[in-house]
Parts: sequence; structure tokens; C-alpha cells
Amino acid sequence: MCVGLSARVVSVKGGSAVIDASGARRTVSAELLSELEPGDYVMVHAGIAIAKINGSAAEESGQIMEQLDENGKGNN
Amino acid sequence: MRTAKEIIENYSGRPLRIMEVCGTHTHEIFRCGIRKILPPQIELISGPGCPVCVTPPGYIDSAVELALKHNVLITTFGDLIRVPGSEMSLAGARSKGAQIKPVYTPLDAVELAKSEPEREVVFLAVGFETTAPSACLAVKHAKSEGIKNFSLLTSNKTMPNAYRALGSCADAFLFPGHVHTIIGSGICRELQKNGVSGVIAGFQAEELLSALAVIAVKANSGAGAFFENCYRRVACDEGNPAAVKLINSIMEPCDAEWRGLGIIPGSGLKLNSEYADFDARIKFNVPECSGRPHAGCRCGEILKGVLKPEDCPLFGKVCTPLNPVGACMVSHEGSCSAYYQYGR
Amino acid sequence: MEEKYVTLAHGAGGSQTNELIDRVFKAHFANPDFTGDDAAVLTPGSGKIAFSTDGFIVSPWEFPGGNIGKLSICGTVNDLACMGAKPKYLSCAFVIEEGFPLDKLEEIAAAMEKTAAEAGVRIVAGDTKVAGKGQVDNIFITTTGIGEIMPGVRTSGTAAKPGDAVIVTGDVGRHGCTILLARNEFGIEADVTSDCAPLWGAVEEMFKVTKDIHVIRDATRGGVGTVLYEIAGQSQVGIRIDSAAVPVADGVKGVCGMLGMEPLYLACEGRLVVFAPKSEAEALVARLRTLPYSGEAAIIGEVVADPVGKVVLTTEIGAQTMLPPPGGELLPRIC
Repeated sequence: MCVGLSARVVSVKGGSAVIDASGARRTVSAELLSELEPGDYVMVHAGIAIAKINGSAAEESGQIMEQLDENGKGNN
Repeated sequence: MRTAKEIIENYSGRPLRIMEVCGTHTHEIFRCGIRKILPPQIELISGPGCPVCVTPPGYIDSAVELALKHNVLITTFGDLIRVPGSEMSLAGARSKGAQIKPVYTPLDAVELAKSEPEREVVFLAVGFETTAPSACLAVKHAKSEGIKNFSLLTSNKTMPNAYRALGSCADAFLFPGHVHTIIGSGICRELQKNGVSGVIAGFQAEELLSALAVIAVKANSGAGAFFENCYRRVACDEGNPAAVKLINSIMEPCDAEWRGLGIIPGSGLKLNSEYADFDARIKFNVPECSGRPHAGCRCGEILKGVLKPEDCPLFGKVCTPLNPVGACMVSHEGSCSAYYQYGR
Repeated sequence: MEEKYVTLAHGAGGSQTNELIDRVFKAHFANPDFTGDDAAVLTPGSGKIAFSTDGFIVSPWEFPGGNIGKLSICGTVNDLACMGAKPKYLSCAFVIEEGFPLDKLEEIAAAMEKTAAEAGVRIVAGDTKVAGKGQVDNIFITTTGIGEIMPGVRTSGTAAKPGDAVIVTGDVGRHGCTILLARNEFGIEADVTSDCAPLWGAVEEMFKVTKDIHVIRDATRGGVGTVLYEIAGQSQVGIRIDSAAVPVADGVKGVCGMLGMEPLYLACEGRLVVFAPKSEAEALVARLRTLPYSGEAAIIGEVVADPVGKVVLTTEIGAQTMLPPPGGELLPRIC
């Protein structure tokens, strides 16, 4: 379920936004997100921007693994 | 520091059964070959996470009836087109002259209705909380623009009661990141209090690996049930309140039939009375069909993780991706299709 | 007054048929072997010939990077080229829908003339039929071709061997993606043009590098993924592909991301999949990259002894997983 597409906001107008994913562009609904600006990254599902994205998968995975490592040390 | 992959590959703790409840998780896990690096103690179970898998045959029958008897234009997400009903799939109906059109979003279906006011357009609203906002927005747009030839055939479902029903089937859930992008992590914390563990996971290979590593470590820390959000960059704890508010203003909970699992109380969504004009069942007086799944089909047990796809007598013989019997074979994300295509 | 549309009378075999042939086809296809007699009379070379036919229906009939005319020449020329045959002669049969604009028919014929000239092939015979409104979708074209196989060359789908490298001559999935976008059903825009191209030149250059090429196949509908499964089956070998090595244009990646599609299964119309010993692969790719339609050529994998008939991908986490076998209608996957 729920194929999500990570895309960059190109422009915002009214309740919709033009998004760009690797050069593919589409107009999607931006009605469920407030204060969207060009340059933001959003998660798009079925033509709706459902969330702003904060940071990359690599960053978050790195943080999770560091945390896991520290907790592990605490337990030893 | 050990990498997530090293933690998983070298896991030597107690046996773990982890249930992914999202078809896209299933698909990505197979696509990047994560199952191939799992040690024997870790088992991944593909639970009911694909809206196509859990859509009952009777729903397809209703859509086919709308298309063939009422001559409506059926708009749908692409993967529903091959799902078998009791008599035929939408692809089968199309070969008999039915108008079936795949769309990227239900908002496009509304635009289609707007451009052809003489024609009745029905959108097949399936999916979980992630997808419900798109159907709700479509109806909202149609209402505010006075578009009267658009309606939904709803079969929307919600996850919390399914989690509660399936909690005992696994040691931990891999919670679907995009469902929780909408509904937040409240339900996960409630499940944790009741002894059910899980981790919210993203969809890229490294996100799936780090989420699985967290489960592997936490499950052996002896600290009891755990919960962690490993997809904070997209799914924040409060979810998307605007989306939840939208759903609650247009739809209301109902009991829902899940193919293979039966009826789970309060696990569905239907349009509320204010939007009844947009309910295709009311508009076209479509009776609730109770379709018959194939007698040998074991989709239900496969969804619960009780059986593996190859345990089903139809798997790979009668039932293949080109000629699917059960819905688990229909969707690319279905457990059986994924097993068939990617091998074990 | 000059007529602007193809009518049923143009297909009736009378004077209007002749006018259509003179105005459109003779004007563009003129060459000494195109006589207008009932059959072309040709002098074969001394070696073996390759002979192939292909029918073309594409909606829309024109698209960024080409039209059905160009496609119909490339398709048959490339089929011949894959056998190591220099394309020599083509016939073409048109089925045209009543009401099709004559100036558009001329555009198609002009594209065929240009592409045939580039491929060094002569159009020597043709046929025109007009079908009633709604009986065909604008225009269908069938081309049949004869080519002369180069001496010392033997390619076949059964000839891939363990130890061969797998080469693609460019980025994959562009034609399929272009057509998908041109139909404008999903509201997506991307800067993608069809890869449709005649590839005899690329094949000729490859054989200058080495005659030791085992398989050449053009990836058309079904894409490169389908070719890999065909060859794995016909040659009774396994194929291993490094997914990171498969060239995919950015726009194609983006569209596939939006619609949940696999670029390896999107159609190409100007890409060859080549199997040759690893020792020759680098030199082949280096030569291909100097040519107009294969600047992105790359080694994407290798042939192994087993699993027979399967295509295995090495993924981004270094695991091995099967490429899903081809099958069924390509449907956008959204949920």
C-alpha cells in the first residue's frame, strides 16, 4: 500500500503545488500541508502531498544506528 | 559501530517473527533482497497491508455491475484492474465493453467528471489512511464545484483494529510509515502498553534495514514491549492533523470485510450522511455483494502469517501473476506475487 | 481542388489511389529499385540473407523523438541488424483510417525516407489500403526487410555463454515512457524523448571491433528485462545484472517513481542488448560510446551457468534477488 514519492516543490499556487521528482513534474494537491514553499521536499501519495520531509534517509538511519550503539554501550 | 546490515546478518538471539503490514514494505523487502540476508532466527511475515489483497471479491462484483449494467465510467488505481471478482475482473469487464480507466489520483477522476457532465464517473476508493485523504478531497472538490456526476464506491480501511486483531500473530510489527504519516504514533504507543511491539519504518533499503536492526536489538534487551519511530523525517508523532480532520469530516467508521480475514468491526470508512449523494452504492442502488472466493484459495491464512504462499495448493499452479486466483497474487505487492516473482 | 484527407476512394485502386501513391510514396521513396511493377526485382548478394517483418501500431502516432514512420523503418532495420545483416531492401504496407490528414501522411513518409537513407536501406515495394472510420486507429504500417549477413558473423539468441558480458547500448525505457507521457493520461510532464533510432551503424562498428559477438537483440516492447529473460531461456543460462549499472535517464526514473513502474520493462526502440566475451566488452562499449545512438552504452551484467532461465539482480544492499519475470499489461501502481 501507499507508494510514496519523495519530490521537490517547484511552485505553490492556491491549494496546489507543482512537484518535481528526477525531472518528472506534476501538479498535486497541497491542501493538507500549511506553509509549503518552493524548495521544500514533500512525500506525495495518490496526487496529494501528505507530509513535508525533514532530512534524508541516510541521515535518519545514521542517527538511529548511533542511538542504538549508545544504548547498547549503556547496557554493557 | 556496527551497521544495520551487520546487526541483522549476525543476529543470534531468540527466534523473531516480524510482521510487515504494508504491501510497499513487502515489495521493497523483496526488491532489495532483504530476505536473503536474514538469519534463520528472523522470519518476516507479510500481513494484510495491501488494499488490493484485502479487497473482497464482492467489491469487485459491485464495480463490474456498475460498469456493465449502469454504464458508468469506472476510474481506479491501476492495480485493482486485474483483481478477480466472483465472475470476472475489471479487465474482464473491459473486454466486454465496460469503460475502465486507470488514474493517478481521484482528483483526476473529478476533473474527468467535470469535463464530461453527461457521463457518470465512479472512483473505486480503496486503501488505508494514507489513501483516504485523496478520496475525501475528491468528494470535497466535487461538492464545492457542484459536480453531480461523480461518486465513490468505497472500500476504505483503517489499520488500528487490524493491528489489535493481529497483535498475537508476531513478535513485532514493522508499522507502515505512510499510514502513520497520517494518523501519527498514538496507536503504536497504545499497542506497546498492551504488550505489542513495533517500529515505524520508511521504505528505502537503508530505512528498512535500520528499522529491522532496531527490532533485533530491542527484542533481545529484555525490556519488554517496545516502540520506536524510525521514520521521523516523514511521519511525525502527531501525524497530519489536517488530513485526519478531513477524513473525519467526510467519512465515518464502519465494519469492513477483509478478504481472507472476514469482518473486522470498525475497520472501514464510508461516506457520512452529509456526503451520501456521492456514495455510488446509494446513487445506483447497488446491493452489498457477498462474493465467493475460490474454494482452494488460502489468502486468509497467508495474510495472517499462518501459512506461506508455497503452502497453498493453488500457488504457482492454478494461481500465477498472469492468471491470479487470490488477491495475494494480483497485486505486485501481494505476498504470493512477491514470492512468485522474486523467489524465496 | 486538392483533397486534404485520405478517403475511401484513395484505397479503391483507381486513379485516386495512383494520385496518392504518386504524391506521397513515390515522392519520398523514389529509387532505382522502386519501379511500380507488381513486384520488385532484386539482385541478391553472394552470402546469406536475413529476412524479417514487423507490424506497427502506436498511439499517438507521433511522439517526441519520432513518429510511426520512423518507428516502422527502425524496427525492421534493427531486427535485421541484430542478425549481423546489413539492411538492403524494405517493403511497407499501410492501412490508413479514412479521414487521416494527407499532410500528416506526407510527414510520415518523409520520416521513413530520412530514416531509410540513414540506415542505407531502399524501400522497393509497398501497398496502401484505406479502412473505414473507426476501423483502425489513424494508421498502421507493416514493414518487411531483407539484409545481407556479414561474412564470418553468427549471432543467435541461443548463443549466450557463461563468461559473456551483458551490454546495453544506452539508457533504458525511454520509448515506453515517452508514449506513456504522450497519451497524457496521468498529468505528468517530463523531458523525455523516444530512443527510436536505426542501429545498423552501431552493429557494423561493433563487428569492426570483434567478430566474436554471441547475441544481439533489440529491446522493443517488453523492454530490456524481457530480452534478458528470452536469452536466459533460449541459451539455457543464468544472467546476473548489477542494478546500479543499468543506465536510466532522470526523467524516466521520475515517471517510474510516480507510477510504480520498472524501467527495465518499459519499451525501447533504439537499444540493443549485446552478449559478448568479457575480454571484448570494454572495447565494444568504448566504440559504442563514440556513436550517435549509444553514448550511454554500459556493461550491466554477466552470463553465469545457473540458475538456468533466471535473471538475478544485485541490489543496492549487495543482496541477490530475482528480476520479476515479464508478464501482463503494464499498469501504473499507485497503492
